[in-house]
Amino acid sequence: MGVAFDSISFKASLCDGCGDCMTACSQAKGGASRISIVPGAKAGSFETALCRQCGDPKCVQVCPSGALDKDGGNGIIGWDASKCVDCLLCTAGCAYGGIAVDESVARVGKCDQCDGDPACVKVCPTGALEFRKAGSIFNEYGAKEDLFVPGLSGCQGCNSELIMRHAMRKIGRNSVLATPPGCIPGMGSVGYNGKTGTKVPVFHPLLTNTASMLSGIRRYYDRIGRKDIVVMALAGDGGTADCGFHAVSGAAERGEKVLYVCVDNEGYMNTGMQRSGTTPYGSWTSTTPVGEHMQGKTQDAKNLPLIMTAHKCRYVATASTGYMEDLYEKLDRAIAASFEGFSYLHIYSPCPTGWRIPSSKVIDACRLSVDSNFNPLWEYTNTSGLRFTHSPDNAHPVSAYVKMIGKYRHLSPDQLAHIQAKVDEQVALLKLMAAESPPPPAAHRAPAGSSTPAGAEPSQPARREIARN
Amino acid sequence: MNKVSTGKVIVCDGNEAAAWGACLSRPDMVAVYPITPQSSLVEYLAQFIADGRMDADLMDVEGEHTVLSVLHGAVLAGARTYSATSAQGLAFMFEPYFRTPGLRLPMVVSLVTRDAVSPTCVWGGQQDAMTVKEVGWIHMYCETQQEILDTIPIAYKVAEHPDVMLPVNVNHDGNYLSYGVARVELPDQSVVDAFLGEKQVNWHACLDPERPMAVDPLTGGAGGIGPSLFVKYRKGICAGMQDALRIIEEAHEDWGRRTGRYWSPLIEEYRMEDAEVALVTIGSMTGAAKDAVDDARASGKKIGLVKIKTFRPFPAARIAQALSRVKAVGVVDRSVNFGWNCGPVYQEVLAAMYAQPVRIPMMSFIGGLAGADITVEHFAEVVHRTFRLAGGEAATGPVWLNEND
Ligand code: SF4
Ligand code: SF4
Repeated sequence: MGVAFDSISFKASLCDGCGDCMTACSQAKGGASRISIVPGAKAGSFETALCRQCGDPKCVQVCPSGALDKDGGNGIIGWDASKCVDCLLCTAGCAYGGIAVDESVARVGKCDQCDGDPACVKVCPTGALEFRKAGSIFNEYGAKEDLFVPGLSGCQGCNSELIMRHAMRKIGRNSVLATPPGCIPGMGSVGYNGKTGTKVPVFHPLLTNTASMLSGIRRYYDRIGRKDIVVMALAGDGGTADCGFHAVSGAAERGEKVLYVCVDNEGYMNTGMQRSGTTPYGSWTSTTPVGEHMQGKTQDAKNLPLIMTAHKCRYVATASTGYMEDLYEKLDRAIAASFEGFSYLHIYSPCPTGWRIPSSKVIDACRLSVDSNFNPLWEYTNTSGLRFTHSPDNAHPVSAYVKMIGKYRHLSPDQLAHIQAKVDEQVALLKLMAAESPPPPAAHRAPAGSSTPAGAEPSQPARREIARN
Repeated sequence: MNKVSTGKVIVCDGNEAAAWGACLSRPDMVAVYPITPQSSLVEYLAQFIADGRMDADLMDVEGEHTVLSVLHGAVLAGARTYSATSAQGLAFMFEPYFRTPGLRLPMVVSLVTRDAVSPTCVWGGQQDAMTVKEVGWIHMYCETQQEILDTIPIAYKVAEHPDVMLPVNVNHDGNYLSYGVARVELPDQSVVDAFLGEKQVNWHACLDPERPMAVDPLTGGAGGIGPSLFVKYRKGICAGMQDALRIIEEAHEDWGRRTGRYWSPLIEEYRMEDAEVALVTIGSMTGAAKDAVDDARASGKKIGLVKIKTFRPFPAARIAQALSRVKAVGVVDRSVNFGWNCGPVYQEVLAAMYAQPVRIPMMSFIGGLAGADITVEHFAEVVHRTFRLAGGEAATGPVWLNEND
């Protein structure tokens, strides 16, 4: 497995050119700013010149003195002032303007990511700058043991396999796993004819009773003092939202200490792509076909995570593999919460086979579904209320998302308008719930100087603090 | 020989007797959902736990489907478990119920038998239990409140025996036994503890990070070892069932030594020594049937009775042996076998008698549906018809006992 590192990302669409980042950088570094905001090609747009900490750094290649070095440990290109002969070849070598002359000292200066807490990111009021730790996550969890065997018989590009492998890496061996009928056992995770694809104890419950049987396991383990075992489900949406719902609802009502992960591929995909209660309006499925008299599903999906918030669960969150960092943070909190009460994590999982999308587009679909508010990312606890973990503002219209997915190919303009209206309605409701929520505790609040309103989404670094705490 | 215990005597109904039987067996987990006529049984359990008399984790859940499902999880984690149900509850429980023997989970569930809807009916009958007889659970039927209490620890002993490892239903008749009050002796806890010994519930399959295994992976399909593996599992359940016939007898014998109460483990033969005709009964109706047999004996008629205690596994050889010398048999059911136009016990006894060298005439009687009484008078009619059968009259049937009540 390769390595990947933290990076500062720049979203041009959010930048308004205020220049706060440059001020912050020059204050932090005591010289010229190592980030430059420059006018973009279109009027009123902005671009940035900033060190990319390239994997194949041209500045390092052209440096004759060995003053520049790509550190294998953290990925940052470091500059050694004592070796530098001030030839400035590196400034010509970098195509991104990532290393430039600092006039105040007449030497080069470059971004060193401020020890993992970049000053520029902290002050950016629009969210245009983001310190992305996805690379660290990749390194941290990629090194952990994969608790499923290689060669599970999932479809190519299956997002559920990604969820399973990553979630179990995080959760680890001290767990008991239940995988009710669906794609996950169908891949062979639960095993076939005496073989198993899973390295932790795994049970194949009924489609209808996953949360119940997990309750029994957890209660008995608690009774005999084995309280540190994660008792968890990796269940599909059908076994969760439809025929298994009584069990989920009952276990949540009783406050059973269970981690319930619903992998939502919006239908009964394992059995041939039939509709489920979470299949969205307008979707083609094999039981909501498209023909002269019927054009896909005629009802809206039930919002299961929202329903779970009314169950006084210890923790409820939505997540997407489009935003792995967010998913990992939520897994942390969901695992911790499962030792206190019912913990519910709903992960959206595009199905390349059943949704008619190329497998290479799965993550694009994940991102776009979040970025269009089709599947907004939020979390909820009874004490902190609902909180978006990804801004629902500045969302793309849902049409871009819907257009990339084959199961919506037939949609009429009216159907598309219906979907957009329902998405807007849903987000408005979530925003109301978020606005009514009490402000998060001080430690969870966005740093001073941020204009993030109380109760709304704290900035990215603040969220990471929560995850680490 | 062990000292025979004489425990505390109480007066209670059958549901309370069952709750005491469970309490004395010390389950770790009890899952409950109420349904007529079982409700007071689970109320007793809840109260026992609330009072600290019973050290079990009470799982008050949202329905019978979950009752059995949480117990699946608990047994797979190593617990001894107990629950009770009836009729519609059993029907709602059926999906996990069907699965329990296949997982070889040793648990005990009381079935307070009841006629199942439709027409809507909340009263006694055995249609619920008879409907699930082919699933792989052991079924034991009780005649009295004391027998209910005693049979529950015996059922654990059988269920957890390494040669059996199957779930057991201890059945008692709704309304009659569930609400009928009688004198019941509670054995000392120490007697039951010594009888049951160490619990053995998950030596074969468990969900434990210390011993990771896949429990119940997909099995079957074409090719490879799939179908043969599946056949092996099925044959294993059959073997466990057949071994249970022996283990049930041993367990009853052991219980008798410790308590002085020897219940007939498989079948009970009543006045069968020189009987020319025989009645076959099951459950609480047996009391009235015995009275009718006594009355007939008093008027010089050579009649006996065979009560079926263990219905699954079916003690076919013992029944054939008991009935081999009679001239006619009348079988009384409290439920209906719709496709055969007779009672289910009748059909089973008929099959058990097939290997006999002589064809013995038999007749099906169906009574006690929907909580109706099967009185001594009804049994007198059964006796009368069975003697006519022995005298050469052709069998007609079924005879519906409460048709004109
Ligand atoms: S602080 Fe943010 S908005 Fe302002 S110039 Fe920098 S990147 Fe753009
Ligand atoms: S100016 Fe740049 S290229 Fe020249 S020595 Fe220093 S770091 Fe190397």
